[in-house]
Amino acid sequence: MSRVISVFLPDWPIERLAPGDAGPDQKLVLAGHDGRRRIVTAVNAAVRRAGVQPGMAMAQAQILAPGLAVRPADPAGDEEGLAKLALWALRYTPLAAPDQPDGLVLDVTGAAHLWGGEEALVADLCTRLARRGITARAALADNRGAAHALARFAANPTWLTRPGNSGPVLLSLPVAALRLPQKIMDGLHKLGLRRIGDLADAPRAPLTRRFGPELQLRLDQAFGRVAEPVAAVAPPNVPEAARDFPEPLTAPEALANHTGQLVEALCATLATQAAGARRLDLFFHRVDHAVLALRLGLAAPRQDAPRLARLLRERLEEIDPGFGIERLVLRASWTEPFTLHQTAALEQHAAPDLAPLIDTLASRVGAHNLYRMAPVESDVPERSLRRIPPLAPLAGKAWPSWPRPARLLSPPEPIATMALLPDHPPISFIWRGVRRRVARADGPERIFGEWWKRDAELFAVRDYFQVEDETGARFWIFRAGDGENTATGSQAWFLHGFFA
Amino acid sequence: MNYAELQVTTHFSFLRGASAPEELFEEAARLGISALGIVDHGSLAGIVQAHVAAKAHGVRLVVGARVDVAEGAVLLLYPTDRAAYARLCRLLSVGKARGGKGQCVLGWADMATHAEGMLAVLVPDEADDACRHNLEQIAAFFPGRAYLALTLRRRPGDALRLHRISTSAVEAGVPTIVTNDVLFHASERRILQDVVTCIREGCTIDEAGFRRERHADRYLKPPMEMRRLFARYPEALARTQEILERCRFSLDELCYQYPEESPNPQQRLEELTWEGAAARFPDGVPADVTAMLRHELGLIGRMGYAAYFLTVHSIVRYARSQGILCQGRGSAANSAVCYVLGITAIDPVRSNLLFERFISEERREPPDIDVDFEHERRETVLQWVFDHYGRDRAALCAVVTRYRARGALRDAGKALGLTEDVVAALNSQVSHWSRTAVDEAQAAELGFNAGDRRLRLALELARQLIGTPRHLSQHPGGFVLTRDRLDELVPIEPAAMENRQVIEWDKDDINALGFMKVDCLALGMLSCLKRSLDMLAESKGLRLGLADIPTEDQATYEMIRHADTIGVFQIESRAQMSMLPRLKPKTFYDLVIEVAIVRPGPIQGDMVHPYLRRREGKEKVEYPSPALEKVLKKTLGVPLFQEQAMQVAMVAGGFSANEADALRRAMATFKNTGTIGNFRDKLVGGMIANGYAQEFAERTFAQLEGFGSYGFPESHAASFALLAYASSWLKCHHPEIFCAALLNSQPMGFYAPAQIVRDARDHGVEVRPVCLNASRWDCTLEKAGERFAVRLGLRMVKGLANAHAAALLAARGETPFSSPENAWRRAGMPVEALLHLAEADAFGPSLGLQRRQALWALRGLNDVPLPLFAQAQTNEPGMPLPPLSAGGEVLADYASAGLSLRAHPVSFLRGKLCREGIASCGDVHRAKDGAFLEVAGLILVRQRPGSAEGVLFVTLEDETGIANLVVWPDVFEAHRRTIITSRLLAARGRVQREGEVVHLVVRTLRDLSVALDAVGEMDAPELRVHSRDFR
Repeated sequence: MSRVISVFLPDWPIERLAPGDAGPDQKLVLAGHDGRRRIVTAVNAAVRRAGVQPGMAMAQAQILAPGLAVRPADPAGDEEGLAKLALWALRYTPLAAPDQPDGLVLDVTGAAHLWGGEEALVADLCTRLARRGITARAALADNRGAAHALARFAANPTWLTRPGNSGPVLLSLPVAALRLPQKIMDGLHKLGLRRIGDLADAPRAPLTRRFGPELQLRLDQAFGRVAEPVAAVAPPNVPEAARDFPEPLTAPEALANHTGQLVEALCATLATQAAGARRLDLFFHRVDHAVLALRLGLAAPRQDAPRLARLLRERLEEIDPGFGIERLVLRASWTEPFTLHQTAALEQHAAPDLAPLIDTLASRVGAHNLYRMAPVESDVPERSLRRIPPLAPLAGKAWPSWPRPARLLSPPEPIATMALLPDHPPISFIWRGVRRRVARADGPERIFGEWWKRDAELFAVRDYFQVEDETGARFWIFRAGDGENTATGSQAWFLHGFFA
Repeated sequence: MNYAELQVTTHFSFLRGASAPEELFEEAARLGISALGIVDHGSLAGIVQAHVAAKAHGVRLVVGARVDVAEGAVLLLYPTDRAAYARLCRLLSVGKARGGKGQCVLGWADMATHAEGMLAVLVPDEADDACRHNLEQIAAFFPGRAYLALTLRRRPGDALRLHRISTSAVEAGVPTIVTNDVLFHASERRILQDVVTCIREGCTIDEAGFRRERHADRYLKPPMEMRRLFARYPEALARTQEILERCRFSLDELCYQYPEESPNPQQRLEELTWEGAAARFPDGVPADVTAMLRHELGLIGRMGYAAYFLTVHSIVRYARSQGILCQGRGSAANSAVCYVLGITAIDPVRSNLLFERFISEERREPPDIDVDFEHERRETVLQWVFDHYGRDRAALCAVVTRYRARGALRDAGKALGLTEDVVAALNSQVSHWSRTAVDEAQAAELGFNAGDRRLRLALELARQLIGTPRHLSQHPGGFVLTRDRLDELVPIEPAAMENRQVIEWDKDDINALGFMKVDCLALGMLSCLKRSLDMLAESKGLRLGLADIPTEDQATYEMIRHADTIGVFQIESRAQMSMLPRLKPKTFYDLVIEVAIVRPGPIQGDMVHPYLRRREGKEKVEYPSPALEKVLKKTLGVPLFQEQAMQVAMVAGGFSANEADALRRAMATFKNTGTIGNFRDKLVGGMIANGYAQEFAERTFAQLEGFGSYGFPESHAASFALLAYASSWLKCHHPEIFCAALLNSQPMGFYAPAQIVRDARDHGVEVRPVCLNASRWDCTLEKAGERFAVRLGLRMVKGLANAHAAALLAARGETPFSSPENAWRRAGMPVEALLHLAEADAFGPSLGLQRRQALWALRGLNDVPLPLFAQAQTNEPGMPLPPLSAGGEVLADYASAGLSLRAHPVSFLRGKLCREGIASCGDVHRAKDGAFLEVAGLILVRQRPGSAEGVLFVTLEDETGIANLVVWPDVFEAHRRTIITSRLLAARGRVQREGEVVHLVVRTLRDLSVALDAVGEMDAPELRVHSRDFR
């Protein structure tokens, strides 16, 4: 006799996003498409109170619950999240699996005594989910089909049947409890066959002829006449070291200390397999069930614990432990055979790979201090550049075709000028007390404020001139304003940059 | 200093230009610019509006277009004369045919063949090899007529760039001109231009980057400033005047020719008229008709409209030859000539309509006749017109699709990065057709932070965007027909629908140029009438046309007066029905008024109540002046028709006919800012000057404002009234035929099949259920003793495809099916399709199989033959199926056919409702005014008309009839969820009785839908326990 728990998570897609305590009055729905119709796919409690149900047209939902926040539904993300939740459920039994799209299934045969009995296990499971803000209904029965039906259609949020007692209670449940496709359910409904009891003792052949083998299969599964094993999730088979902490870790020293111990344990495992790590993943399971990860890439396979520990420790500051870390897992997610060998002086010279250098530099000075410049599609000089990570691509943006100064002053510095308004460059200007006569000039280049950014830029104009003084030094100066209309700026002059 | 700006893009270069032609010419006049050259991208769509605006502001228009040559050059083309203009139109037509919808694809080779008489201006990028190559090309294709544009971009190296380009031009021997590449009329429009760019590119302003226009200062600049900016190129500035001299072409030269129907159209029209008159009046043409015909023919002759009438006549004659029902309407349609020619069925003598009032000799605008055809067969007529007049001489008008409030906020909001839900919430405050956007106060009411910058900008820009053209689409049926090649008058493009082509101009443009337009529109009611008349001939041997329906039938008017008009054309809406008992129509003209009065125009202008009071004799009929008495006598001193509104402006406000027309148009266009104020001052001022009281003048203007957008012209009202009368007559005397025809024409009108069938049964019509062995696809008539019963057709069965039904009927022939399996084997249709029939209980009437039994039997059949199963089938064990309760049968009927002939679902709940003290809908109608009661029913309609200040009208239905609820906004807000989600609704409130019209003004509401679900389990309609008397 097996014992199976089915967990039903009716609001999984939305609760996965918004933890339960994030404002009970916040109205949130997820929206998806049903053909061309935009429909609500999930709702939170506040919206449900307003009468919105999943499946309702978005337009109707918005009339019912004004001020609704809408986020796009993400079924792939839901599925992925459920798979992760199943990994978490492995704490109860090695046989846990996601029951897509809205539940979990756990085979707890022989596992319950570790938790003080079945009742205690189910209670613990539901409490932990509830703490995480996830509404769960759970049922324990002799087989997966019955547990699935009872989790969804039993009157109580948790429902435990005694061993050998699953069958009779099913008879009064609607056929919808049988995990049947909508089409078959509609067909049964139209014939007046609404409860499992209507089908349980009916002749098999006529039903199978009309509804195919699936109906009988589901009936047999529900009554335990055929086996339905749980295909448990398992972490990929890789070398790993893990440690649980009854008292969650928050102090950085403690994290560093335990990280070092994990590295040693893992390296010992690697040594037995004659393998070296090319990549290390360090997972931090927080008490709020968030999992954070650090990834360390290595240029060559290694099993040298002190060095690996140092590299990892240097990056621990990236991790926010929140209310504490309850589990650390170190996994060598990419390994290669490890052999000690001499450096080959005659190897072909490959294109230099900057990555290891950048790894090292980033570990020393901090990744945020390491950057390169990329163009931004903006005519406003201050906004025409941005910093990107050293190896990030330029993303197809091109540098402007006209000359731009090698250096910009931030902020631009005021200058005193002699200029003919509105079209001409200054005859001379004084910057930091030095007067310079303008020998050559080009302009104006007229740049408008980016009106969508700030009110001050709605009508703002700058007229830029490239000027060259008698010594051949080139400057980028501008007038705030178009030289005619005071709404466009103060008409004062500024020096903004130098050409090389 | 003279300067002409020759590179101006209007907002007819969709989502590029940001100003209307009117704005551009107004600004040009203000700045002292002598002429504008309008060059939209591959299009002349804005040129007529530019022509009108140019005249209004005294600035010359140079007609032109911008063409992007596929090999990589931008040209501005200006025709010098009419012949060159024809070539430009043909060139653009070629490009559009090649490029498809909205695109214009042309190459140098096309320039070569169309260049004659055209000036070309090359718009260069940099002074590079491409520029030099293009200069050579243009100099070769346009010898002596080629120019190069010098334009400041306000980018680095501008001066050098101009110098190099100018040098290249000198080398190539091509003279230069100055342009400013204008995209909007004034600098502040730059922001809107950025927004339309974002809309075009489908990005937000933050993502737009360099997709925004980067060259600065794209607005009109005064000549002095241009001279200052181009001080080094005085000759290029002066040359703008040279182009002005050379391009003398004006749209005034377009001379429109009617298609030739006959060498002597007037004579031919007169012949046809007298022939037609003799046919219409077999007992001799009455003297007054003869006089009227003579008079009209004289007028038509003087105006030269004979050819137009002949064209409409030949289209109508074709439709008639195909047995397609049609009916004319519009200004010229209500003439005796149109009556005898068979274009309309309204006897002008009877209807008291004067042709002359619709055709003004003074205005000289072309007559306007719209013809409505059966909606399912109109395409036949359209294709005949294309073929008969030739595809190079006939095309459909365009419709300029402009931004309305919702679309403007949606697109502006998207461009500014507002999320979809914010935009949707804001738009929920705006009705679909509204032209006024959401304002900050409304946004604040919705709980948005009105101070939020992005939100504020979005609202402001959406307001600016309203009225901006979005794209061209095809007019539903407005034909332009010409004698000469149409593509030499205006560019033509292929339409999205196959076998149709569309010109670039809309109906206002056509009007402005005096082109002829015939509207061939589709009308569902004509299909219904056609079906009715056919059935009438077939079943009762009564052969009638629209014009032969007995006129002034008092039984019909009696029925109309009781608002017994479900299904009837136009006067079936709730608003119309509540007006009928008050207006009490007795003659045809009363119907004309009825149709016109229940419109947003008269309602918003507050004309309904004064008219009713005067009609009932409760208020004295008086006229502010004798002149207005002439205009308003027919409608008791209250303007009800659009023409009257215009005439009031002319007679009392001193408007000329053209000004009155301009006023109507200004009110009808979307952007009623600015210009409307001028009209207001002029009208009110004019009326005061003519001795009218200020208060009266103000009220008159308010009335006209209501009309502008929603008024009904009398001639249209008359044509619609005729259809309303014809359908009422059928409903009154042949309700079974009308019911069947209406069901066969669904979807149309306000009511669902359930209400139509119920109404017919209330009138004593026997309706028989869908039957496997008796129904055809359409609903049909079956002999029932002396009378006829309606047999519901297979078309009522939800989910059943027409093709499957046809297979079934073909297999049935004369031999009825004997079992579900027999039907399946003989018809060779999928089991799935037969299941739909079983769900609709179609196996019941002739085979006596209950719904579930038939479903069970059918499900046992398999489309893929399995011989073993086929044998097993004969001796399979029986399956006990629970029987369907009576309530369940009714709900299943509704689910499968949308109606039930058994009982009303609410009847099953009557006992329960009575115990709760809830009255029936019938009780509401018997209750006295002011009674307080609660009623429950299925929700038929929820309606919130724009003219009703947020009041929601809800119609409930139970087995005793319908009840009309009025829900004020505060009650709606309090019961929002109940109203929207309920199927069975209980409403408590006070009865309001006005004559025969009864409303329940709602105080509170309850959702009883749960009780409805229980109906499926119930076996018999509960008998009423006791009856409450509300009298």
